[in-house]
Amino acid sequence: MTRRRLALVGAVLLAAACVERLTAPGHCPDFCPSGQITVVDTLLTTSINRDSAYRGYVVSYQSPVMLAAFLPGATDTLDGRPIFRFNGYGPRLPVSSVDTGQILRADSARLQVYIVRRDTATHNLRLQFYRLPTTIDTTTTFGAVAAPFTNAPVRTVNVDTLLAQPGRKDTVTGDSVVVDTVNHRWLLSLKFDTAAARYVGTDSGAVAYGIRIAADTLASIAFGKGSVGPVLQWYLRVDSLGMPVARKPGILGTTLANFVFTPPTAPLDSTLAVGGVPSARSLLRVAFPKFIRDSSQIIRGTLFLVPAVAARGAPADSFVMEARTVLADFGRKSPIDARLDDPIVIHPGATDTIKIEVTNMLQLWAADTTHPTVFLLRPRAEAQYFGEIRFYPSKAALRPTLQITYVKQFPFGVP
Amino acid sequence: MRPAVGIAVVAMTLLTASPRDLSAQDSQFGIRGLGTPGRWESVRARSSGGAFAPFDALSPLMEAPLADISTLTATAAGGTSHRDAQLGDTITQLRATRFPLMGVAGRVAPRLVIAGGFTTYLDRSWDVTLRDSTVLRGELERYRDEITSDGSVGDIRLAAASRLSRRFAIGAGIHILAGSTRMTAVRRFDDSTFHTVGQVAEVRYDGFGVSGSVLIGVAPGLTIAGWARADNRLRAQVGDSTIALTDLPRMAGAGLLLAPSPRVRFAGSAAWRAWSNAGPGAFDTWSWSAGAEFGSGRMPIRLGVRGGQLPFGPGTKAPTEFAASAGTGRAFAQGRALIDLGVERLERRGGILTERVWTVLVGLTVRP
Repeated sequence: MTRRRLALVGAVLLAAACVERLTAPGHCPDFCPSGQITVVDTLLTTSINRDSAYRGYVVSYQSPVMLAAFLPGATDTLDGRPIFRFNGYGPRLPVSSVDTGQILRADSARLQVYIVRRDTATHNLRLQFYRLPTTIDTTTTFGAVAAPFTNAPVRTVNVDTLLAQPGRKDTVTGDSVVVDTVNHRWLLSLKFDTAAARYVGTDSGAVAYGIRIAADTLASIAFGKGSVGPVLQWYLRVDSLGMPVARKPGILGTTLANFVFTPPTAPLDSTLAVGGVPSARSLLRVAFPKFIRDSSQIIRGTLFLVPAVAARGAPADSFVMEARTVLADFGRKSPIDARLDDPIVIHPGATDTIKIEVTNMLQLWAADTTHPTVFLLRPRAEAQYFGEIRFYPSKAALRPTLQITYVKQFPFGVP
Repeated sequence: MRPAVGIAVVAMTLLTASPRDLSAQDSQFGIRGLGTPGRWESVRARSSGGAFAPFDALSPLMEAPLADISTLTATAAGGTSHRDAQLGDTITQLRATRFPLMGVAGRVAPRLVIAGGFTTYLDRSWDVTLRDSTVLRGELERYRDEITSDGSVGDIRLAAASRLSRRFAIGAGIHILAGSTRMTAVRRFDDSTFHTVGQVAEVRYDGFGVSGSVLIGVAPGLTIAGWARADNRLRAQVGDSTIALTDLPRMAGAGLLLAPSPRVRFAGSAAWRAWSNAGPGAFDTWSWSAGAEFGSGRMPIRLGVRGGQLPFGPGTKAPTEFAASAGTGRAFAQGRALIDLGVERLERRGGILTERVWTVLVGLTVRP
């Protein structure tokens, strides 16, 4: 019995001994530590210097999308037109395991294109397909293909009408559309008849097309490239010992997928440009104060940028601009530090001051004093939007500024 | 014998279970100052209000009583406190386990006993949260601060004592003050665009002190004691930088022991400490205690009260404290092992803060 009591006492004491609870609400200043956390907020107006803008990082044919737009403006019209080319099979196709036959003509073809970005407010979206010279390449300009776009289109498709069809299939034209709600894209499958799909065997069977779009408003979309790029299925007639036979060769992908547009992007000036096609980036070099870097903890940093002009671009195509830092300052070829980025959405037409939270990067600079104190501004999706924004540079009155909120070293050990 | 083993196991478990060593009961009153001074008393002395501390060889208050130790003796103490801190209408329940005392003493010559050990000089363990707001960038930003300190300053004592005659014993000691606290300061803003502030530092402390004491048998059953101690300063360092140098107090005290019979003992003591040297917000303190011990050495009953002042607090008056305590002890193995148990009820008052503390104490003494 005595042992049981002792064991009980021991257990109670042990349980009590193992629990520690020290946290209590403070009542300052009487029952608080003498030292307090001191927060300082400062606006660095002259710390950003030697800024510059560069263009040409991603050009149109390197973009993962083909931009199409038709947006009349006050002074000009933004007109973007995808152009793409399919190489053919040459003049002959196999008709048996040992023989080939002359390709006589195409019965028809089926063109599939993905619309990977669109504005849900766009209505009555129409696509017009034009036959282009097969000589188009990555250097082709808007003006170089202006003439073929004045010809009659080989096909016209109203996407909204097609979407309204039962099963999203037009039994008359043979067109259909598949709505991919997961990836938020449409797959258009369009039938091109003999006139629209001319197979010229003597020209290797190559064909090139261009697309113009139109809509009631906000005609601005993006077509996919690569794995979600245009593909062409030919339905051919091939000569087999004097008898034309039908052949359905393999599907062809594009050998060129690009887009042309007008008006061309304005050349760089003294402002800090970000975005556009080809894409532009800007570098801002920061004289990071030592008193902040060495003996304080940064809890918030905000970069203020004042647009020199309203952000350009299709009204519906807001784009994300991101502030990053670089691993080494080599000017336009500075390698980007991929670890951190601070994004902000740029709305075309907006002239409000842009505020970007750059706390992570400032903390990185404070932690690693060898790190270049350089901000790099670039569009997150380069050359995938027409949008471009230009900010006042450091030599302007409305120069970039940096607001830093930091905490001084806590006075540990002071009674 | 088996109950003794059980109690010993419990005591040893209590002494080894907590990760927090070298600490004493802390208090909200110590947050703003240097800390909460430790109690230089064994469980036996503390169970009787601290009145027997000047006459207790196992209490590190005085050195002279060491002269009566005949064999090698080691002791340790632990305690768990449950504290209600009442600030205005807000009561916060706090709990802590501390191990404020450990020591060993032995006779090295017929008239010389030396001892070594440590006790808590200042406890600096606390955790304060604060809800407030400030205007940042033109907006009212609400935040919660949590500032913590975990650690203490220990008093490592090397002491020697000698009984010069049947009525007269003296002792002296040197004290090395050493310790550290791990301090953190955290601020979390409600607005997550402001990152959390988190700063950490290891603060190291050092200091030095000397003490001396005397024990005089005035008459059979009547003994008086006197002691004095001077510490130089407490240096606080973070990294290689000295953050603060704080003067430490001189202190002195006296005690009276009356033993009308071997089974009844009464004691009283008083002490003065010049803590006002430590700077603004620090006060000189007086403390007193009275206690009694009844019964044989095998299982005595101890009672006591104490009162006095605390060295740190708000306002112009030192906070006050009053405690009542009781306890007992049990000897085992022909007196080679002693378990002391005690309980203390303490109340501290100062400004709008009132602390009420229950403390359970366990002491273990071994004479191999």
